[in-house]
Amino acid sequence: MVDAYRPKTLAEALKIRNETDCLPIAGGTDLMVQKARGTGLGPGFEKPLLFVGHLPELHRIEKKEGYIHIGPAVLLSELLHNPLISDTFKKAVALMASPPSRNLATLGGNICNASPAGDTLPFLYAADAELLLENHEFERRIAIEDFITGPKQTDLKPDELLTDIIIPDINFPVTYYKKVGQRRGMSLTKASFHGLADVLDGYVEDLRMAFGSVAPTVVRSRDIENSLIGESVNSLKNRYQEILELYEPLIQPIDDARSSAMYRKNVCFNILKDFLNYLEKNQGDII
Amino acid sequence: MKMTISKSIKRTDAREKIRGEAQYIGDMAFDNPLYLKTVRSTRPHAKILDIRLPDLPENCFIIDKSHIPGKNRMRTVVSDHPILAEDEVLYIGQPILLVAGPSRELVYQISEKIRIDYEDLPAVFTLEESEKQNCVFTEYSFSKGEPDTAFAQAARIIEDEYRTGLQEHVYLEPQGMAAEVKDDTVFVYGSMQCPFYAEGALTEALGRPADKIRVIQTTTGGAFGGKEEFPSLTACHTAIAALATKHPVILIYDRDEDIICSTKRHPAIIRYKAGLDDNNRVTVLDMDLLYDAGAYTGLSPVVLQRGIFSATNVYNFHHLKVRGRNFQTHTVPSGAFRGFGAPQSVFGTEMLMHNIAITLGLDPLEFKMKHILKQGDPSCTGGKIHDKVILPELVERALDLSDYRQKIQKKKKFTGVGISLFLHGCGFTGNGEQTIKGKIILRKSKDRVVLKVSSVEMGQGADTTLRKIVAHTLDLPIEKVTCEIRDTGLVPDSGPTVASRTIMIVGGLLKTAADEMKSRWNDTEDFEISKVYHHPGFLTWDNDTFQGNAYPTYSWGVNVAEVAIDPVTYDIHIEKVTGVYDVGRAIDERALRGQMEGGIAQGAGWATLEVMKSKEGRLVQHNLTDYKVPTSMDVPEIICDFMDNPYEFGPFGAKCAGELPMTGAPPAVAAAISNALGIPLNEIPVTPEMLMELEKHED
Repeated sequence: MVDAYRPKTLAEALKIRNETDCLPIAGGTDLMVQKARGTGLGPGFEKPLLFVGHLPELHRIEKKEGYIHIGPAVLLSELLHNPLISDTFKKAVALMASPPSRNLATLGGNICNASPAGDTLPFLYAADAELLLENHEFERRIAIEDFITGPKQTDLKPDELLTDIIIPDINFPVTYYKKVGQRRGMSLTKASFHGLADVLDGYVEDLRMAFGSVAPTVVRSRDIENSLIGESVNSLKNRYQEILELYEPLIQPIDDARSSAMYRKNVCFNILKDFLNYLEKNQGDII
Repeated sequence: MKMTISKSIKRTDAREKIRGEAQYIGDMAFDNPLYLKTVRSTRPHAKILDIRLPDLPENCFIIDKSHIPGKNRMRTVVSDHPILAEDEVLYIGQPILLVAGPSRELVYQISEKIRIDYEDLPAVFTLEESEKQNCVFTEYSFSKGEPDTAFAQAARIIEDEYRTGLQEHVYLEPQGMAAEVKDDTVFVYGSMQCPFYAEGALTEALGRPADKIRVIQTTTGGAFGGKEEFPSLTACHTAIAALATKHPVILIYDRDEDIICSTKRHPAIIRYKAGLDDNNRVTVLDMDLLYDAGAYTGLSPVVLQRGIFSATNVYNFHHLKVRGRNFQTHTVPSGAFRGFGAPQSVFGTEMLMHNIAITLGLDPLEFKMKHILKQGDPSCTGGKIHDKVILPELVERALDLSDYRQKIQKKKKFTGVGISLFLHGCGFTGNGEQTIKGKIILRKSKDRVVLKVSSVEMGQGADTTLRKIVAHTLDLPIEKVTCEIRDTGLVPDSGPTVASRTIMIVGGLLKTAADEMKSRWNDTEDFEISKVYHHPGFLTWDNDTFQGNAYPTYSWGVNVAEVAIDPVTYDIHIEKVTGVYDVGRAIDERALRGQMEGGIAQGAGWATLEVMKSKEGRLVQHNLTDYKVPTSMDVPEIICDFMDNPYEFGPFGAKCAGELPMTGAPPAVAAAISNALGIPLNEIPVTPEMLMELEKHED
């Protein structure tokens, strides 16, 4: 048996976090599976649990000064029904797991779980999401790519909690999302891609490309993106091979029970090519 | 006027299942039960050198081979599987010991502390390696006509090889069993298809007569063949533990454990050599079927027999040579699975016919139609097809319903249409029915009737349809006809619930008994009628030479599958499957539709999504996160239709149904994918990964 805490306020939760080596748990959709031991047996948690999913402070979606703030305990299904959440992000969320899981799983859980296959991550990387981390005394704001340090690894300190997810409220005229799963529903991602772009008069004003599930963490290269900003969409499409070579060293998938490294890599390049074609075709439709 | 038997009625088990009132094995309560956990081999092939046990808390027990009162072998066709390992293990997951204790937590902790020392022995992991080392369990062969002469005269010879993969049953309810001893009788309860198989295994393992054993089937959450022979093992485990500990014991598997250790569909390699004449007709076929039986023989000989007796599918090749072999590998034993060896060989033959046609630039359907069996033709084993074959009518209906001709002409790149023709031999293979001699009892008490059979309800609708046959015959409301629980102490052995035999064979006996009961209805208030199966006299079968009627009759089907391939990801979207079937006559159309839709989903899953590989004897996909079966989002639109072709010896003309759709969908789907990309396919599951490789190769 392990202890479990169910604080009433965030302050109380941070105090427990400061005093106890504990494991924060919100929806538990991944943790319960990771720690499952078998029929009729409780899960095998080694540390006391700190329940945070119910805390009202972590449970809001609001717009403030050009940013959308999402509480980490917000459920995936709530994201789908909130008008402040962009349609392209909703598209990624809607393909995650199953309705029952989405009614339990939280956005903060998906981030802190730090799986390379985490389905909300490519969007959050592409959208320049930042995270607010608090302990009982201080808070710090950190870019998501600095927070997630490896598969299942984050920069969360033992006394900290993730308390806010902050996304710039920018509307990208061109959005593209592709999830490659083993099947259409209830499937872990073999590879995914979230592309966001702003195109003016045929020239790329802003461009974000994030690849999921094909490296230890989400792949996004600001250097490559910056080198392409200012180009015409036509030339981007024609420079496909060159762009692909730029990403080549970054995309390092693994062979596992769900797919092969070779497939993942090839499919990433196909998606990239498809995105560049899409960019060319759809730039004119957007005002 | 009496309503037709085919008109659907409400399923008799629906209400209690939907309301959560049905009692599955996990819902049963016992006084002071002990929980069991199985300690399994972690090595694919090894000698057990030493077993080190922790100190046992009070009321905890370790059960090993020394506690087995009778013979340490699980009785199947070939009883080579030890109930608990002796000094050697042959696969990862093989049961070695059982831990019993008053709580699951305690049992889990003890089993974690058990240490087993092994000496690894050389192991064989693949069919190819096993073939090289000639590790053959079983070998059969038969022939027809003069194949050697026909090959010598052939205008063209085509050789090809086909492969099918492992498949996991994924029944909704994992394996579970419980046992208790009362008044010197061992009671075993559990989720199973064949209570008398378990009883048979228990008589040998416990060394006690059948009248001291009662096997009682609890509500069973699906089976698909996965609960045919496997529960004999868990029945023995619980019974031995109950005798050794003098407590009721409960053994329920987790899903992961279930996947690791339970039987799977046999992976197969099928090699073909086809001889064609000047008119592009296949005149002679030489087939070599290799089935991976896994570590122990079990049911594999019979699975292989159905595989080879279904090997020519719906076609009449005048000259034929068939060889089938079961190979041993150090992997989890293969066993019964819906279709029982036929889906593998039918896939190979259907795809061979498809691929020969496209190689020759012919239309696959026209090519296939030139070869189909007709009434009066000999089957592959030389038994005369005595019933009317309405395959051309089934094909026409399927083409109309699916708009096949239009679709195949107007197809675009990355979309495809494929057609499969298929059959299923009804009832047991060879002389199985004559050996088993299924028996039923129909009992009238006042105005009610109880039917007593060992054929189980396992989600397929058997209780509804069997009751319906009796109620319809006697003109009684279905509520007046009930089924006795499947308790070997209360019902006769009507045979196992396998081989799509329940309606045709057992339902047939019930129909005969009900007819007789009707004629005597007013004689007395209470009486009983018993019937035993007799094989129709005009059928012939020689089990030594494999000549004659391997099956009394066949059910037939046609599938048209439509697919779209994503050009970016190579994801396969099966968009629609049209199925037209001759199952004689439908006993209940909705129940049958459930079978057909489920079978299509299962067949399409095996053909595309369901990748299961083993690496050095260890399953790579060993949970439902990695092993994918279709969800409702993956199941295509299904159009399903039946054409009546009543069978003289089936109840109301019914033949077999349950396994038929499992056989039909895979070749239709594979042919559609082949059509979409313009490439031949020789292997299932077809995955996006495979298609990407094939396309790159084509480029």
